[in-house]
Amino acid sequence: MSTHSSLKDAFSSYADHLNALNEKRERIVKASRDVTMNSKKVIFQVHRISKANREEVLEKAEKDLAAVRDQHISRLVKELQGTDFWKLRRAYSPGVQEYVEAATFFKFCQTGTLLNLDEINASLLSLSDPSLEPLQINLLDYLLGLADLTGELMRLAIGRISDGEVEYSERICQFVRDIYRELTLLVPLMDDGSDMKTKMDTMLQSVVKIENACFSVRVRGSEYIPLLGSSDPSSFLVGVSDAEL
Amino acid sequence: MKSALRNAYYFTLSRYSLNPNPSLLHIVPFISTFPSLPSVLSRNHPFRSPLCATLMTGGDSDSPQTSPSLEKQFEKFRVQLEDSGSLRERIRAVVLEIESATRLMQASLLLVHQSKPIPEVLQKANSQINVLKDLYNKLAEVVRECPGQYYRYHGDWRSETQMVVSLLAFMHWLETGNLLMHTEAEEKLGCIEQFGFCFRPGGLSCWCLFHVK
Repeated sequence: MSTHSSLKDAFSSYADHLNALNEKRERIVKASRDVTMNSKKVIFQVHRISKANREEVLEKAEKDLAAVRDQHISRLVKELQGTDFWKLRRAYSPGVQEYVEAATFFKFCQTGTLLNLDEINASLLSLSDPSLEPLQINLLDYLLGLADLTGELMRLAIGRISDGEVEYSERICQFVRDIYRELTLLVPLMDDGSDMKTKMDTMLQSVVKIENACFSVRVRGSEYIPLLGSSDPSSFLVGVSDAEL
Repeated sequence: MKSALRNAYYFTLSRYSLNPNPSLLHIVPFISTFPSLPSVLSRNHPFRSPLCATLMTGGDSDSPQTSPSLEKQFEKFRVQLEDSGSLRERIRAVVLEIESATRLMQASLLLVHQSKPIPEVLQKANSQINVLKDLYNKLAEVVRECPGQYYRYHGDWRSETQMVVSLLAFMHWLETGNLLMHTEAEEKLGCIEQFGFCFRPGGLSCWCLFHVK
């Protein structure tokens, strides 16, 4: 058939296109994994914070966060242009969410405020050549990362109470409540919100744990020793001592 | 006292369903009705939505310390998400129409298996092609409103479009014995070039099923 060779050509061009797409996706997934790993390191670093070492911990965390941007997020910037941002979102979304979690966690410990989406995106502008489209975190990934942030804040609050920083934990409590409240209005509106709905469950548990811990330390004062209850992280009874159970 | 509070927490958590919805705010009255609560909990009223105002049974009317910039950001998000939600609804509406035109084509093409003459069968199916052309134009118009976000909504029309392409390919094969090429499919539907490769591989596998039959 005269069309036979054009058929072959067409199919081989399809194959080329698909192969190139898959290879790009692979590279993006690898970069995203590195972003995730290194963002988690930042989070662990910030958790070490206490009254004594605050400046030192935050300084190191800031450096590490910048390294995540310069070494790993920059790889994403290279690969993603134009429609790629949404087309390949699933490949890089987990990494970006973890980065949002780390950056917002750091900002809260530094200033007690929430890092805005605009602010976080401004910090990414320098990563790309002005002639290229910059990587801008989209609203959905930002909200998903924010949801994970509340879990880390819960751990921080419990840790701070153990160190006797009760007022700081109460500030964390207020902050987490605000985020939870704002997010309940947004979750029903999100594209494929099933991930987010699960995160909201966890978030509510975090809020309750923090509230419970703050309440208990107020009522029982210095006797109170919060248990993180790592064997049952979903238990709302975390923070209530064994005598009560 | 503590066990009562713990029971309240337990009760509210067990009522809590997977989907966050305004009835969650029922938690607040449980906390604010305990008279001997320490000040840290009764001082702040964390939930301020209009729904909550009717649920709260007491406590002070202190203003919460939510930062205005936080609220502003989330308000902006809400507007953005509502806009994208309504865009998605418009896309779904057009896609439903595409689906029904496709069903008509499919039904008439089934006659081929009952050994009806091919030109007759094709005539009915061909009449739907113009309908589809218009619908895809409509779809393209909607999608043009959100440049760069083609793939955000792509899932909403992907499988329907695969079906359309497979039917077109089948019809083309019935007429000419050849495989419908990508560019020819585009011409038939009058699509903008964006409706491209993304669906091609899927359409081919549908076509292969028809071919075997």
